[in-house]
Amino acid sequence: MGLLVEMKNISKEFSGVKVLKNVNFELFEGEVHVLLGENGAGKSTLMKILTGIYEPTAGSIIINGKEYSKLSPKEAKENGISIIYQELSVIDALSIEENIFVGNLPTKKFLNLSIIDYEKLREKAKNILKEVGLNKDPRILVEELSISEKQLVEIAKALAQDAKIIIMDEPTSSLTMEETRNLFNIVNRLKKKNVGIIYISHKLKEIFEIGDRVTVLRDGEYIGTKEVKDVNEVMLINMMVGRELKSKYFDSTHTYLKKTEVIFEVKNLTRADKKVQNVSFKLYKGEILGFAGLIGAGRSELMNAIFGTAKISSGEIYLFGNRIFIDHPYAALKKGIALVPENRREMGFFPNFDIKQNISIIPFLKTSRFYGIWGLIDKNKEKRYATEQKKYLNIKCSSINQNIIELSGGNQQKVVIAKWLAANSNIIIFDEPTKGIDVGAKSEIYTIMRKLVEEGKGIIVVSSELPELLLLCDRIVVFKDGQIQAIFTSEEATEEKIMAAAALGGQRGREVL
Amino acid sequence: MRLDYKSIWQKYGTLGIFILLVIILGILSPQYFLTVNNLIQVALQGAITIIIALGEFFTILIAGIDLSVGSVVALTGMITAKMMVAGVPVFWAVLIGGVLVGGILGAINGSLVNITNLHPFIITLGTQAIFRGITLIISDARPVFGFPKSFTEGLAGWLGPIPIPVLIAIAMALILNFITTKTKFGRNVYALGGNSQAAWFSGINIKLHTLMVFIISGICSGIAGVVMTARLGAAEPLAGIGFETFAIASAIIGGASFFGGKGKVSGVFVGGLIISVINNGLNILNVETYYQQVVMGALIIGAVAFDKLLATRKG
Repeated sequence: MGLLVEMKNISKEFSGVKVLKNVNFELFEGEVHVLLGENGAGKSTLMKILTGIYEPTAGSIIINGKEYSKLSPKEAKENGISIIYQELSVIDALSIEENIFVGNLPTKKFLNLSIIDYEKLREKAKNILKEVGLNKDPRILVEELSISEKQLVEIAKALAQDAKIIIMDEPTSSLTMEETRNLFNIVNRLKKKNVGIIYISHKLKEIFEIGDRVTVLRDGEYIGTKEVKDVNEVMLINMMVGRELKSKYFDSTHTYLKKTEVIFEVKNLTRADKKVQNVSFKLYKGEILGFAGLIGAGRSELMNAIFGTAKISSGEIYLFGNRIFIDHPYAALKKGIALVPENRREMGFFPNFDIKQNISIIPFLKTSRFYGIWGLIDKNKEKRYATEQKKYLNIKCSSINQNIIELSGGNQQKVVIAKWLAANSNIIIFDEPTKGIDVGAKSEIYTIMRKLVEEGKGIIVVSSELPELLLLCDRIVVFKDGQIQAIFTSEEATEEKIMAAAALGGQRGREVL
Repeated sequence: MRLDYKSIWQKYGTLGIFILLVIILGILSPQYFLTVNNLIQVALQGAITIIIALGEFFTILIAGIDLSVGSVVALTGMITAKMMVAGVPVFWAVLIGGVLVGGILGAINGSLVNITNLHPFIITLGTQAIFRGITLIISDARPVFGFPKSFTEGLAGWLGPIPIPVLIAIAMALILNFITTKTKFGRNVYALGGNSQAAWFSGINIKLHTLMVFIISGICSGIAGVVMTARLGAAEPLAGIGFETFAIASAIIGGASFFGGKGKVSGVFVGGLIISVINNGLNILNVETYYQQVVMGALIIGAVAFDKLLATRKG
């Protein structure tokens, strides 16, 4: 197997701050090399150097025996380096074939003008689509495709450019299990064609499924490269965080305590748009209740219905035994029900606010009349809310006056949680609370959740990461087609049982196992 | 230490431009520009722009816009004038014809935005024509004049050396500054402008706040309408055409962001003064008034482009 690229002693400084220190990285033909590290470890910077976006401060890159002190984006492309970003860069308004060959469309002469040769384009596109296993008419618009299909178009585009090296940045973060499996099949096919793949991921489990070797970075430093078969999850986590994870909540052996006091109950809830049907469940005091299911099963839709961001057509909700009516998030907020939404950047925080303003908005709303409009801002309270939460949640920031966009993803998430805690919420719904957050911050969020239930609050967690649910939850509800399929206690629950119920439904799921 | 140009610009940019303009014009035309009379004139000419811009600023703050301000100025001025001519006491005519009608017109804008979920650009583009049409219908396209002295002198007269419109602009700026910086409502408006989805998920009633914002804009334009009618001594059916350009320019030059959630009342006030200084300067330098439109348009594009450049450039 030939060496595709070698990055030697790469360092990079941004205005005096070292973000990469003597990092080594190499990629062979037909290998999947996983690049692992917490957010801010330097993975993206290293890849931006490889794709020619950044110039390294020191070090060299050797491709095809030629040594470069830096690459231009053009040189990177000419050397067959191609990157598939997490936020896909396909053009929705163009067809599949146009997307694949954009910037390099085959042409023919017509009345002495160069025009697009659609026949040739279609033929070439069909061949490439076959390679990536996308069974679609190349003429249809990309906007009609699902996220995973768009990703395949991106891979096809890389292949069309004759990519020898494909960098995949968190490729499975928005994919379902089945789509992930399909992606892995394609990755394996690419390997056979001697394409080298650099695979960036947070999901440790995937590394063992798809990776050949793994390189770990931490705080810009090169920690080491290992054969995947020689390591296990714990070793990788230790390499990433450089310390034994202290959190006792990180082992998956916590026991199910029988809880007795029901603090929140949903009875026969059906959404007006039928995305959630006839759902009933109880939440006990001090309990973490998990919601498992495939993407699109209707879990977020259920939470939105409870929280008042979606209309319900029938059903009842009880808080501390009293029936409550929630037709708007403001009503939920007033009752002490919180929702930490799925996508913090889009739904969670205010980028134009500093930390204290972000945190105080909810308590201010809660303590004012007329839909939160009435009343004056109390600067002392604002400061107090923020200071208390900063301490309680261990928000890492230079001060509470720092703008939230300067924080890391994990700390941003803590601020989103903080604004609900500052308003003394009793029922806290977390929707994918650790999405895109590094391992260290993840375990901190778990610790926070444990701390909250120990104080007698009730927590509902929606998560697509089964290990997360298994280690956190007292009980796990499995959702499919907008309905509850099964409820397992932490003692009963296994990944197999949950997956069977999530994929096949409660009845079939039990039969299979 | 790295100088943070971005935050310096955001804090002092508007004021800096204002001072720079005053210095330049002071050098170019010391005998005319830097006279007390002329500076008072600048403030007086700026007053109406500022009053409208303050309301416009609220709509821009929620990442919207209000294109109907000029028509609201005309319609409220016309209704107030008609009421006074019909014998309604000045106080009530101003309160109902200016403030209340202005608020109602704003409420119409806000409600239409809420009901249709269309961008305020479309709604106010439509109501701008509708309000203008109503003004022409009720006035028969003729100006209305002949007001009591208490109206013209009460709203457009002088209090000592200072023109009353300037005092009204200052008073309104103080009230709206209080609303934006000290009230929960003001904080919610910034939140809504910064991230409307997060605002919704935080329990902020988006429709109610949107409605209030447009009512504020309507009231501001309504007050500007009566002040202008008092100044001119007549309600002109075609008054206020193109005012939205000046109002938007004031807000943007004053540091408001078209993307919402950013800006200050004090900035908008200075922004309005800048517009007035530029107009005044062009007059003094004998530039034809038609060029003022060209300058205004260029300024809006320049200010927004510069804002975007600063926002995208990092480290």
